[in-house]
Amino acid sequence: MDVASSLAIITLAALIHSSFQLSVSVLTLLSGHSIIAKHSQAKVARLTTSFVIGVGVMTILLLSFVSIVLLDTMGSKTSDIAWSMACGLLFGVGIAVWLFYYRREKGTVLWIPRPIASYLNNRAKATKDSSESFGLGLTSVISELIFIIAPIIISALVLVQLDAGWQLVGIGIYAVVSMLPLVIVWVLIGSGHKLSDIQKWRETNKYFMQFVAGSGLLILGFYTYVTEVIGSTIGGI
Amino acid sequence: MGLAVDIVKQNGARSSEQFSQEKLHASIVAACLSVRTPVGQAEAIAHAVSTSVIAWLEDKPEVTSHDIRLVTAKHLHSHHPDAAYMYQQYKITI
Repeated sequence: MDVASSLAIITLAALIHSSFQLSVSVLTLLSGHSIIAKHSQAKVARLTTSFVIGVGVMTILLLSFVSIVLLDTMGSKTSDIAWSMACGLLFGVGIAVWLFYYRREKGTVLWIPRPIASYLNNRAKATKDSSESFGLGLTSVISELIFIIAPIIISALVLVQLDAGWQLVGIGIYAVVSMLPLVIVWVLIGSGHKLSDIQKWRETNKYFMQFVAGSGLLILGFYTYVTEVIGSTIGGI
Repeated sequence: MGLAVDIVKQNGARSSEQFSQEKLHASIVAACLSVRTPVGQAEAIAHAVSTSVIAWLEDKPEVTSHDIRLVTAKHLHSHHPDAAYMYQQYKITI
């Protein structure tokens, strides 16, 4: 696979990652609780900034970790079986996203178990300083691992085939693109937009986002399977 | 002194508690503050909405927390629709 195709796959995987909403929901809660607690605008900015940095750090760590594990176990040449398994994971997660990413309720209630949702809500309410906020950012990424692992694995499989310099570029692209919606919401909150407007938009468009995320996973899985598995099989024949 | 009204929580899954006007007032203020309403206006809106909710509770010995939330949101909507929306978003954001 050439560098341009590799980076395109990584970008698409990152876009799919960015359509998942747990971190955005937690950021909304964190901002709301900070504003309600009558923190200064500067403090709200510090807390939200630390949260966003935490999300970015954990995303980079996860992607790097998975890449290193794959590089160690399979080397830089990914086998057809590994590609097939990754594509199967993409198909499965894509269908799971279509079926139950959002609960059938008002608001933006996600799939996560209610005790975990309560925990995140309570932590967002109790967050008073930047380090706690940073930790909350790390936690929110881990909490959604079951869905984001699919785009991370496919990106890692692509990354291990690249040269070291392009690997860094790939990781950077993934981190930036996957955090775009979070950064947009962060900027909107920091610039004084009302949380109600942001939340209304999210609620209105949640099913569209769900469809796009699920479809993206299926398309990515199909494309990768055709180019890497079928393509190499036909090429081998 | 609050009304002697029992609030049934989570459809009976949690133990009931006595109605607290202060708690209701604080939750309305919080909803208003979350949409950047000035503190004075938030307090005034909370006072007005609390009065309406208490009037509704007068003849009811027991209500659910969900009922209180619905009635409060309805009254809050006439004062501040954005705050009413955020009030209803409690526990359905994540």
